[in-house]
Amino acid sequence: MPNEIKFKIDGREFTAAPGETILEVATRNGISIPTLCHNQKISRTTSCFVCVVKDKRTGKFLPSCSACPANGQEVESSSDEVRDMRRTALNLLLSEHAGDCEAPCTVACPAHAQVEEYVRAGRRGDFKKSLKIIKERIPLPLSISRVCPRFCEKECRRNVYGKPVAINDFKRLAADLYYDEYMEDIPVENGRRIAVVGAGPAGLSAAYFLRRLGYRVKMFEKMPKAGGMLRYGIPEYRLPKAILDREIAHFFKMGIELECNRQLGLNLSLDVLKSEYDAVAVTIGCWKAGSMRCAGEELALQGIKFLERIAANDWTGNNPGKTIVVGGGNTAMDCLRTSVRLGSDDVTCFYRRSEEQMPAEKLEIHEAKEEGVKFEFLVAPVKLVRNDAGKLVLTCQRMELGEPDASGRRKPVPVPGSEFDVEADTVIAAIGQATDAPPGLAVNRFGDLDVCEHTYRMSDNVFAAGDCVTGAATVVEGVAGGRIIALGIDGFLSGREYRPEPVVNVSRGHWQSLRKEDLVFLRQDVSEADRVPQRLIPIAERTSTFHEVAATFTPEEVQSEGKRCIECSCTAKGDCKLRQHSQEYGADPEAYKGARLQQGYDNRHPVIIHDRMKCIKCGTCVKICAEVVNKNLLSQKYRGFATKVEGLFGRTLPDSCAECGACVEECPVGALDWRFKA
Amino acid sequence: MAEIRKIKVGTASCGLAAGAGAVLDFFRDHAGVEIEEVGCIGHCYAEPLVEVVTDAGSVFYRDVKGEQACLDNILALGETGRLEVSPSRRKYEMLKVTRLAGRICPTSFDAYVAEGGYGALKKALTMTAAEVVDEVKRSGLRGRGGGGFPTGMKWQFLAAKQAEKKILICNADEGDPGAFMDRSMMESVPHQVLEGMLIGAYATGADILFIYCRAEYPLAIKHIRIAIDQIREHGLDVVNGKKLDIIIKEGAGAFVCGEETALIASLEGRRGTPRFRPPFPTDRGWNDYPTSLNNVETFANIPLVIGEGGAAFAQVGTEKSKGTKLFALAGDLKYPGLIEVPMGTTIGEIVFEVGGADPDQVKAVQTGGPSGGCIPKELFDTPVDYDSLNALGAIMGSGGMIVIGTDRCMVETARYFLDFTHRESCGKCTFCRVGMMRMYETLERIVAGKGEMSDIDFLADLGPKIKKGSLCGLGQTAPNPVLATLRYYKNEYIEHVRDKRCAALVCNALVDVKLDPEKCVKCRLCIRNCAVGAISDDFVIDNAKCTRCNTCIDVCPKHAVARVEKGEGYYAE
Amino acid sequence: MSDKFAYLSSVERSRTYLIKGLQTVQAHDGYISDAAIEAIAAYFSVPPVDVEGVVSFYAQFKRTRPGKYKVAVCDGTACHIKGSISILEWVGTELGIKPGQTDRDGLFSLETVACLGCCSLAPVMSINGKVYGKLDRKGTVKILKEYRKNG
Ligand SMILES: Cc1cc2nc3c(=O)[nH]c(=O)nc-3n(C[C@H](O)[C@H](O)[C@H](O)COP(=O)(O)O)c2cc1C
Ligand code: SF4
Ligand code: SF4
Ligand code: SF4
Ligand code: FES
Repeated sequence: MPNEIKFKIDGREFTAAPGETILEVATRNGISIPTLCHNQKISRTTSCFVCVVKDKRTGKFLPSCSACPANGQEVESSSDEVRDMRRTALNLLLSEHAGDCEAPCTVACPAHAQVEEYVRAGRRGDFKKSLKIIKERIPLPLSISRVCPRFCEKECRRNVYGKPVAINDFKRLAADLYYDEYMEDIPVENGRRIAVVGAGPAGLSAAYFLRRLGYRVKMFEKMPKAGGMLRYGIPEYRLPKAILDREIAHFFKMGIELECNRQLGLNLSLDVLKSEYDAVAVTIGCWKAGSMRCAGEELALQGIKFLERIAANDWTGNNPGKTIVVGGGNTAMDCLRTSVRLGSDDVTCFYRRSEEQMPAEKLEIHEAKEEGVKFEFLVAPVKLVRNDAGKLVLTCQRMELGEPDASGRRKPVPVPGSEFDVEADTVIAAIGQATDAPPGLAVNRFGDLDVCEHTYRMSDNVFAAGDCVTGAATVVEGVAGGRIIALGIDGFLSGREYRPEPVVNVSRGHWQSLRKEDLVFLRQDVSEADRVPQRLIPIAERTSTFHEVAATFTPEEVQSEGKRCIECSCTAKGDCKLRQHSQEYGADPEAYKGARLQQGYDNRHPVIIHDRMKCIKCGTCVKICAEVVNKNLLSQKYRGFATKVEGLFGRTLPDSCAECGACVEECPVGALDWRFKA
Repeated sequence: MAEIRKIKVGTASCGLAAGAGAVLDFFRDHAGVEIEEVGCIGHCYAEPLVEVVTDAGSVFYRDVKGEQACLDNILALGETGRLEVSPSRRKYEMLKVTRLAGRICPTSFDAYVAEGGYGALKKALTMTAAEVVDEVKRSGLRGRGGGGFPTGMKWQFLAAKQAEKKILICNADEGDPGAFMDRSMMESVPHQVLEGMLIGAYATGADILFIYCRAEYPLAIKHIRIAIDQIREHGLDVVNGKKLDIIIKEGAGAFVCGEETALIASLEGRRGTPRFRPPFPTDRGWNDYPTSLNNVETFANIPLVIGEGGAAFAQVGTEKSKGTKLFALAGDLKYPGLIEVPMGTTIGEIVFEVGGADPDQVKAVQTGGPSGGCIPKELFDTPVDYDSLNALGAIMGSGGMIVIGTDRCMVETARYFLDFTHRESCGKCTFCRVGMMRMYETLERIVAGKGEMSDIDFLADLGPKIKKGSLCGLGQTAPNPVLATLRYYKNEYIEHVRDKRCAALVCNALVDVKLDPEKCVKCRLCIRNCAVGAISDDFVIDNAKCTRCNTCIDVCPKHAVARVEKGEGYYAE
Repeated sequence: MSDKFAYLSSVERSRTYLIKGLQTVQAHDGYISDAAIEAIAAYFSVPPVDVEGVVSFYAQFKRTRPGKYKVAVCDGTACHIKGSISILEWVGTELGIKPGQTDRDGLFSLETVACLGCCSLAPVMSINGKVYGKLDRKGTVKILKEYRKNG
């Protein structure tokens, strides 16, 4: 052809027809160039500038969606400079873009379970679907729904006005109803074998995901039964062991093997495992009790050992008499409330900081108080002796709060001359736990196992996760770690190192910084009701038995909680081009912080929502409505940073809208979208 | 004594704003000689200006008042109040394009013709259209609207087009806040601009002529309108055998509409957003017809080019920038106003010799308005031409030139320009719409004393990217004021950020206000005028209440109140 | 089209004259109401939302009724350098309004403008188009008081 144009993209020569843009030629030849405002159905807009390429001769950047090549022209589309310009354009767009790629509850969940989705399934009464969604990330729903500190609820936007949605109770009901009958698709074994050392939450989770990836998995457990802290740390009244047994039974149904009473370094050799198995997952937890750092502390019981002993004895034991528990974490609460149940009527918690600083869950503290536990704040043990009468005497010192320490908390400092003695029958030290690293495994400066932060690999074919890597944490964090280890091992064994996918999560902000007007109500029927109160067994039963304290919600209760969910995440999270390109180019919503246009949203239209805060002002919808649909119902308004896109006099879509949805389908982000979520 | 023939009163906007209206009325009623209204001769600082034409030549009077004493002095050709034009200004000025400005009555067709007006048009009509284009090419005339594109080339493109209609537009939007060359030309010599357009229409074969003028220039619009009526009366609007459509359109307040594709969108009755070029307007312009745009001053040059010939025109100026250039001088100098100098005159010559600025009081000059950059005094031997200014990170722009005194804060100056541009961005493309806002916010933080050192790097990093990634000239130049001040006055940024100090005592958040009891005569003017009651009965200013509004500084007859560095003032709590 | 905007018929009925139409309405009514937008849309056969887009783009167009005296303080480059911010403060204090506002009696409205083209007389302001230059505080306040007196 005489008129055709020869030019180069990234050194490769291409031919363009007259009038063809650089983007069109690139796309035709399989070179991908990101675009946001480009749309074949409408005339060229040239707004977003994420499609830039660089003209090598002039050094100028050209929007490839609009620029036509010239003969002999050479453009760069993948150089660092071009990528940097595209990233900058995306960063700038992200900086004015307010939405929630994911719901804050999902982001907050350490396992990133799709909270909003399983809550929605629950709201619709589809508890089976709810459970299926949960189990994609949480293989221990029966346990976690009972013991989790509910990270999700702390971030729930419903906090803006009232209490959070009772998210964890969706898991509990779904699991209680369908856990036993639900079976995921298990692939046939792929011939590779993995050893998991330690059958606690992280180990179980690793085994579960490895099995789902096709591996043959065998767990080794030092205790007589599987479950780790779930069995030997968390008291019966929070997690009945019969339920735990139900949970673990499913693992056997999946074909996971278990050998108990095998302890690394004792009757189990790491070297042997390493050679006999394709990979070894070390998930041995944190079983070394922390020190009270006071004279005579050997006279005290260690919190986790105390719980372990009672657990091993099927939650029976002698009345500990007058009991003092030193410490303020969840283990301390478990020891206190267990002591109450063992018959003591004088149980006190000694904590060296203030009540606000206590790391234990507020709910736990509250329930402990209900059960008669007393609290002494700002006291620290100095010395423990046994007096002639055979009683323990704990010498304590009063503290006051001084300057903030490295953690930002105000540090307790002793008040001179404030020592006092207390007598007790039992003193339990619940000061924290540390990893008891077996010989031969590298540890970091905290004494925990040292792993690669992405793959959780230690060395050779040994991987580790859970408390033994993070230090004592929560069950859900252990479960999250177990999944990463499974992915890490899978990547290792298939020869491509696992790397977490870059995730861009735009957020409107934590609820603490939002007002009700800032929340986007997709549904107009979000319930204004208060949170369904948790039903508990009577207090007398609580203080005298180990019966489970909290009841499972009824289906009606769960559904009414579901109606309180605002459905915070973006309607377009699956097909947002801004997010996709941002992930590809490593763009960061925090890079260019600054003002966003406060322009709210419009959900008055029956089927379409216009969330203006997400709009990137590409004008696609305006042109679609004008050039394709011929309705002319939208326009840009104002100019500069204040530019916005909307219908006449601030309405998104007037009554004359054809409801054709053409604009919705073409909006590159979630600014114009259907008002319903699947 | 010489005999007085007539008295000319300058009644361009500058004159009227200074009170020329009253002078005119009074003189008409009382002078008893012929009074003529004329435009602006460029000495705007001296307005109201009056020229007394005598048989022995003209005498100019400055700061004229509409009072009997003043009139008497003028009628007696008194020595007081005469306008003295310094020899150095005479030396460097070269009045070619503005030769008739302020000398003839703008609304008189005959006056323009009497001075040789429309002679160039007549001459052009004796040439072929191609010859006219060639002549313009030979002159080396480059567009005066900022881009500096060769005018002859643009006309050649349009002339080559075959189309049902062709359009020629005069860009009189003059959006650069600080420039007033175009206004002055339209007010003072509207016929000269029209003559240029008619020659253009002949050369390019245009059918419709638009004059897109900013609405803030009512007098310019009025004069152009009168001039159009007059050429219609005289049949000059028939070119190439067809009657031209000549249409004045008023802008509606959008700087970006000076950009050619935005201007065309605006002329089409749309939002004034630029679009990607190519296609260029000569290929697809107003309502898709081939269109060429030129600036007012460019058109005003055309009669000269044709009249004296391209070669003669090209005698003046530098190798690549031919002819003279108008500059609107303003800011910290003695003689603000409109000047015309040959291309290649140095900035120092303009600022000091023509503008009469005191070298010890000048820090820098800003050329090109909000799209340009500052040039520090050290570089004042730079000649003004398109390429030398670009090399310094400033631009010629349309010809606004603001002299910045030593007591000005460069960070605040940059903030001011960005305040303007970020709001004038059309909002279409990402880098300009969002990027300019982010830069502006950062500058706001810095002048508020809340900046961090990383903010300076942020500006230096984002600025060039905005220039590279913007669609039109607005975004492509908007970061210039910041980048230029960062280049030459980075220390001021560092002071604002690190030391929380504004050495020029301009940034309100970084200064206190203090009353010097030694100088104070206890007249209580400051106390009475302070809107927030920040000054106590014993003449102490409470900086916690003070809003730094400058009222007290302004009212104090003894200059006892002054801005001082933050921390030197008194705070009640 | 309602009779209220009948005067629009003096403007040529082509989209090229849309801005002229808006200017005509504004000159007549002082601002552009929703009704005006719909009338203009009908007159020029342009979608109303498009007209609203155009109106909001240009700084000249007001969507709220301005005061009898429209005070515009120039904040162009020269005026800014010459202290227009102080002028704005003084005007604001005298009138008790901020830029963009109209006072309660509807007598004054205040705005800033980019450049009145009288930079050599900086600082300047205009009241209903009449330009006042070389302003200082006293002069500014005096001019405003004069207008107020005339009501
Ligand atoms: C943001 C922006 C504003 C402009 N403003 C004006 C203006 O007010 N007057 C003008 O003549 N040109 C202005 N221009 C330049 C025009 O786009 C165009 O180059 C010019 O009118 C062409 O005429 P010339 O070749 O005679 O200079 C502006 C350009 C940009 C990017
Ligand atoms: S309201 Fe629903 S989606 Fe939003 S944070 Fe709470 S549970 Fe998650
Ligand atoms: S709402 Fe319209 S302008 Fe905004 S991002 Fe979506 S398509 Fe673009
Ligand atoms: S650079 Fe600015 S003014 Fe120009 S098109 Fe882009 S957003 Fe509009
Ligand atoms: S500018 Fe090219 S795709 Fe948006």
